[in-house]
Amino acid sequence: MTAIFCHDLSKSYGHYQVLDGISLTIQEGECFALFGPNGAGKTTLLKILATLLRPSEGHYEILGLDGLKEKEAIRANIMFLAHGAHLYDDLNAKENLEFALALRGLSPTQHEIKLALDRVTIGAFAEMKVRNYSAGMKKRLALAKAMLVKPKVLLLDEPFAALDTAGTEIMREYIRERLSEHSAVLMSTHDREKARPISSRAGMLRQGTLQEISIEALHSDDLF
Amino acid sequence: MTFFNVIRWIVWKDLVIELRSRETMSSMVFFALIVIFIFSFSFSMDQQAAREVIAGIIWVAFAFTGIIGLGKSFSTELQNDCLEALQMVPESKGAIYLGKVVANFLFIFVVEILLFPMFVIFFNLDVVEEISILLLIFFLATVGLSAVGTLFSALTVQIRAREVMLPILLLPMVIPVMIAAVEATKGALNGDPLTMYSQWLELLAIFDVIFTVVSFWLFEFVMDN
Repeated sequence: MTAIFCHDLSKSYGHYQVLDGISLTIQEGECFALFGPNGAGKTTLLKILATLLRPSEGHYEILGLDGLKEKEAIRANIMFLAHGAHLYDDLNAKENLEFALALRGLSPTQHEIKLALDRVTIGAFAEMKVRNYSAGMKKRLALAKAMLVKPKVLLLDEPFAALDTAGTEIMREYIRERLSEHSAVLMSTHDREKARPISSRAGMLRQGTLQEISIEALHSDDLF
Repeated sequence: MTFFNVIRWIVWKDLVIELRSRETMSSMVFFALIVIFIFSFSFSMDQQAAREVIAGIIWVAFAFTGIIGLGKSFSTELQNDCLEALQMVPESKGAIYLGKVVANFLFIFVVEILLFPMFVIFFNLDVVEEISILLLIFFLATVGLSAVGTLFSALTVQIRAREVMLPILLLPMVIPVMIAAVEATKGALNGDPLTMYSQWLELLAIFDVIFTVVSFWLFEFVMDN
């Protein structure tokens, strides 16, 4: 089944065209790695698919749901791991998870929360305010949130940024797990080496247009 | 059920963050104290004269104090892009709105309750017999201020000059609340019979209902755009 479908998506801010006719189809169980230079429009595309931005033109569907008309249903099925991590500095890790999941209508047990925090290896800091977390720890906490949500579509903006080697492996392990459960993953990244082992397809976004590239091309420096 | 849970969790989150940071209420109390000190030293008058103008002074202090709290309501959501997470909640945005209204109401109302004794002391007011009606006036006016203020706080949060824009947009909208609150407060402080100023309480109640309903529906549009 098609998880992500977009046709001729465009987004412009005034005279500046960020996305220009993006068409993309991602099936369940596929991981699409989105590459491109800074300012190419990767985050804009992810935010449109996360229902945070309205495209200037074009049409998109998530799990067969219309992106412009069925936002609530889409939001219940997707998870967007953004740069900002969506965490409150004055809440601790457990509270942040409880709050974020409650807004999605989920109520994980304390045991499930502990397991998720332990899995991303920040269980020892569960009671610490997020204000005192490093960027990598915040990323891990955001990942723990995604683990508890188990979304059908996972949108990842620079998932490996700020993560150390162990954190990167935890992230990849989680992505593999979602793929094995037939979730679709779309991730923007600059890191070919980290993305290649988990990506089934890849694309290059340049000047607002998307060109699909082979996984083998990720070995080559010509495109990058 | 999720709708009411979202309201409950938004209120819980805002209260916990405020109890830990004390950023919003401390700045509200500090500002209001300055207003009280300035006015109390500016006016040297007898108790009767004070009763004529004190209602206006009280609501100037409460309105601007409330605006400080309302301004922070959504600006705290900008940290770590938490506003995006609220936008992505798979539930009617009205639940987020009502949660924010309740939290904002609590902050403003608590500050009003803390500050009112200062007015009594500095302006030598005798309010023992009118305290219950005064609390009702504060309650109704604060609901109105919170209902409209929460919407405008969300509307201006992404604007660079939001600290300036919020009062510019909000104050004209809450003029009916302020006028009704001042008139009702004046009547209560003067010891007038309730029937002489009950129309102002009715106006406050009507304003609360209309603007809460309208803001509830508009909030979805504000959050999605």
